[in-house]
Amino acid sequence: MSRRPPQDAPDPHREALDLQFSHAYEELRRLASAVKRSDPNATLTPTTLVNEAWVKLAKSPQFVATSKLHFKRIAARAMRQVLIEAARRRHADKRGYDAVFVTFDDAIDVAAASTSDDLLALDRALTELARLNPRQAALVESRFFGGLDVAELTTLLGVSEATVLRDWRAARAWLATELGA
Amino acid sequence: MDPERYERVQRLFHDAVDLPEAERGAFLARACGDDAELAAQVSKMIDTDARRQILDRDLAEVAGPLFAGGRATPDQVGPYKITKLLGEGGMGVVYAAVREDLGSVAAVKVLRDAWVSPERRDRFAAEQRTLAQLNHPHIARLYDAGAFPDGTPWIVMEYVDGVPLTEYCRTHAHSIVERLRLFRDVCDAVQHAHRHLVLHRDLKPSNILVTEDGQVKLLDFGIAKQLENLDTPAAATLTGLRLMTPVYASPERLRGAAARIDADVYSLGVILYELLAGQLPFEVANRTPGEVEAAILGPDPTRPSVVARRDSSRPAASNATWADIDVLCLTAMHRDPERRYATVDALGRDIDRFLKGEPLEARPDAFGYRFGKLLRRRRREVAGAAVVFLVVAGLIAFYTVRLTVARNDALTNLTRAQRIQHFMLNLFAGGDPEAGPSADLRVATLVDRGAQEARSLASEPAVQADLYQTLGSIYQKLGNFERSDELLREALARRQALNGLTGSAGPDVAETLTSRALLFSDKAQFDEAERLAREALATARAQLPDADPTVVRALVALGKVQSDRGKYDDAVATLDEAVRLQTAANAEPQERASSLYELASAHFYAGHYDQSEVQNQQALALYKQVYGDKHPLVSDCLINLGAIQYERGKYPDAERYYREGIAITEAWFGRDHYQTAANLTMLARVLNRTPERQVEARAVLGEALAIRERVYGPDHPKVASTVNELGAVALGAGRLDEAEQYFLRVVAIYRKVHGDAHYQTGIGLSNLASTYMAQKKFAQAERLFREALVIYTRTLPATHTNIGIARIKLGRTLLRQQRYTEAAAESLGGYDILKPQMDPGVSWLKSARTDLIEAYEALKQPDQAARFKAEQTAIAK
Repeated sequence: MSRRPPQDAPDPHREALDLQFSHAYEELRRLASAVKRSDPNATLTPTTLVNEAWVKLAKSPQFVATSKLHFKRIAARAMRQVLIEAARRRHADKRGYDAVFVTFDDAIDVAAASTSDDLLALDRALTELARLNPRQAALVESRFFGGLDVAELTTLLGVSEATVLRDWRAARAWLATELGA
Repeated sequence: MDPERYERVQRLFHDAVDLPEAERGAFLARACGDDAELAAQVSKMIDTDARRQILDRDLAEVAGPLFAGGRATPDQVGPYKITKLLGEGGMGVVYAAVREDLGSVAAVKVLRDAWVSPERRDRFAAEQRTLAQLNHPHIARLYDAGAFPDGTPWIVMEYVDGVPLTEYCRTHAHSIVERLRLFRDVCDAVQHAHRHLVLHRDLKPSNILVTEDGQVKLLDFGIAKQLENLDTPAAATLTGLRLMTPVYASPERLRGAAARIDADVYSLGVILYELLAGQLPFEVANRTPGEVEAAILGPDPTRPSVVARRDSSRPAASNATWADIDVLCLTAMHRDPERRYATVDALGRDIDRFLKGEPLEARPDAFGYRFGKLLRRRRREVAGAAVVFLVVAGLIAFYTVRLTVARNDALTNLTRAQRIQHFMLNLFAGGDPEAGPSADLRVATLVDRGAQEARSLASEPAVQADLYQTLGSIYQKLGNFERSDELLREALARRQALNGLTGSAGPDVAETLTSRALLFSDKAQFDEAERLAREALATARAQLPDADPTVVRALVALGKVQSDRGKYDDAVATLDEAVRLQTAANAEPQERASSLYELASAHFYAGHYDQSEVQNQQALALYKQVYGDKHPLVSDCLINLGAIQYERGKYPDAERYYREGIAITEAWFGRDHYQTAANLTMLARVLNRTPERQVEARAVLGEALAIRERVYGPDHPKVASTVNELGAVALGAGRLDEAEQYFLRVVAIYRKVHGDAHYQTGIGLSNLASTYMAQKKFAQAERLFREALVIYTRTLPATHTNIGIARIKLGRTLLRQQRYTEAAAESLGGYDILKPQMDPGVSWLKSARTDLIEAYEALKQPDQAARFKAEQTAIAK
């Protein structure tokens, strides 16, 4: 048998982390679409989605030893991913289309277009923040995308409430300068 | 912008933001000096702090518009006009379409959950065109493919009006022969694709349609692979999960291996099973994908013949026929690729033989393996995983595994541990879990073998690193510190090299550093140990939240090192934090037990016996909960509890605990193990307290010393501890010269290892002094006792029993030199320290009382003397 090229070789240890993330991601996407399809006017709150995903996944082997708080953390990351992908597609829409191929019934949603820009910019800025201050990036991601409240954040990050609020304030201000610039 | 600068910006922001506006400018000017950029950055942040921005909005509000629309039916795809919705599957939506210029029909599949970037679209289309060249009567033709402007891929293919294979068989094909004929067509199709180097990768009944007139058509060849190559990073991981219906996916695929021909063979095997047995080999209804996966990797499925026997509606056939069917199915879907049909062709040919009534090529075999053979096969399949299994085997053999390959927080070892355990049980005794390991599979042999295997894994450095880490930790537990150090260094080097590629120090580096820190602590090289522990902690903290088990483990290691080198206050603070973090994060019981155990030890050495007892009991309960009653970790707690009783002077209780602990470690590790040596030493101490048992004590100690010298080398605190006990025995027996030699060695060792910075040196000095006392060399004894007390006072809390004991001894020395006032002061001082902590009948207190009576009578203070006389009488009752 020939040797497998390096990039195909699986890393069994990232596997389980990826599995958890992937399950969460998949569930959230599924829920998000389900919500939209059943009621086009329904609002998606991250908390509801995450709670629903938790109910579904909590008993599965990947998550059975995970605390809900920890799940929320993973879900926040997954939620970010879901939204960024949706944003990317919308973003691509703006670049015009090939007349030969297709038209969709709906016109491209203008509101969606600018939102997608914002989210993509936020995503880039958050990635940068993760380099500068990983804990703050985790804080913002968990809070904004995962809906974790301050008490949960103190437990998750192992710091005091004052630190959480302080970090939030500074990260938020910095991110805003990055987005506005 | 780098992290340091960001830190600075933040600090300035916090300082300036709440200042009144008027003062702000001046403050910033002062603080930033020439750095105008810095000032500008902070000012901007202060501005945005006041304004509303995206992060303040509700995510729902922000994200809502993204999900609007986009689900509508397209009208047109290329030259095809969409006519109606045919159905929705896991991958996408299928429409019927008409090609207006030609009047032909086709099916259009829109993979709405995937996204192709503009750069990749051409390539995607090209790949699909290759697939379009698959031309076979039983394969649905692919005509064209592309992507919508927003990146959603679409595929146009032959329109097949049919139902899934399983459904067709239920309604139209009832006999085994009919079903096999259909299945043979499927094999033909797959074989054709394989010859053209296309794997299906996702064979399942819903991808195999059969038309009304019995024509088989396979769909979706190679799509799974295509989607893996798309741009969305999550998609790469997801396609593996989402597209693979677990029950049809081969075990190696589920474990993450790349797809090969035998993966398609496996899927076909499951389908065949389903067709012939009438049900799936693994229960799927009401189970999460994860549970199904666990079932697939678990025990063998029930043989189709057995299933058929249970179901009376199954077609009648001879036993011989069913036996052959069993072989066909189970060989096709064998868990081990080596034992499967290697190609679809081979499967097809055996089906042909069966239909003709000829003997099959595949052999029904017992599904057990010879140990080495399995190892060689497994190795190729999932590289190092099998070797890790191998190494862990020795521990698994006792069915209580605690994987030392710990990873970052989100990973639970639970499922992996279960899988490994199951695999190993099968490995050892051909699947009989009660049989246990065979005698020649000793842990040491396995570990050595594991180390050899690991060397051959140079091409998979990440796996090799993990392997070295595990082996290193196991060697440490086996007491082979040389090998342990070697391997841990290898693991660290590899991990650092790997992380060097990504430019960051990962949590796995932290784990290796933690292991090394503990190793160095065991070797009594405390400076290095502490340095490593701190490095491990910093590395872990840089990447992970504080409550992460990797961080906590590093913290516990640091606490242990601090405790080992005598910094008890620091150790208690560190370990308290670890326990706090674990409680808050709801950590696993064995993790919590580990920190509680270390904390209890730190308290013990610091003399806080009550706290130590409580925490030891907690740790004991937790360990028993996880591991049962016979595990070394349970023994450790018992030994600790014994030690506490010993310090309190409750010797029978102490002996009881020690013997309980020793029974466990002896059964587990054997007599000739450093753990046994440690416990024997503790037992000897207790025995030595009773004169009649001192001979026994000496024998036990001799054994312990031999083991320890072998394991640790001659100059190690643990060796000193045993020599110390031998000295105490000799002293008690009146062999003073012998005792003196022993204690001199003790002092020498402790001085070498600790200098004067550890109370253990003081103990050595104190014991040596006792020898001089017995030899009537009082002045020498006094000098040494005072030296010991200096060390004690510097390194222990003022109320520590060692200080009390030393002062009583010093008091006696002074008494013998007739310096009564000084003597009384020391004896009383020691007495006051010990009395609240110890059993009143303890020898130290007795000695103190006797000495005080003598001193006070000599000092003509009858009242004082009377007080202690009264106590003496009271105790005697």
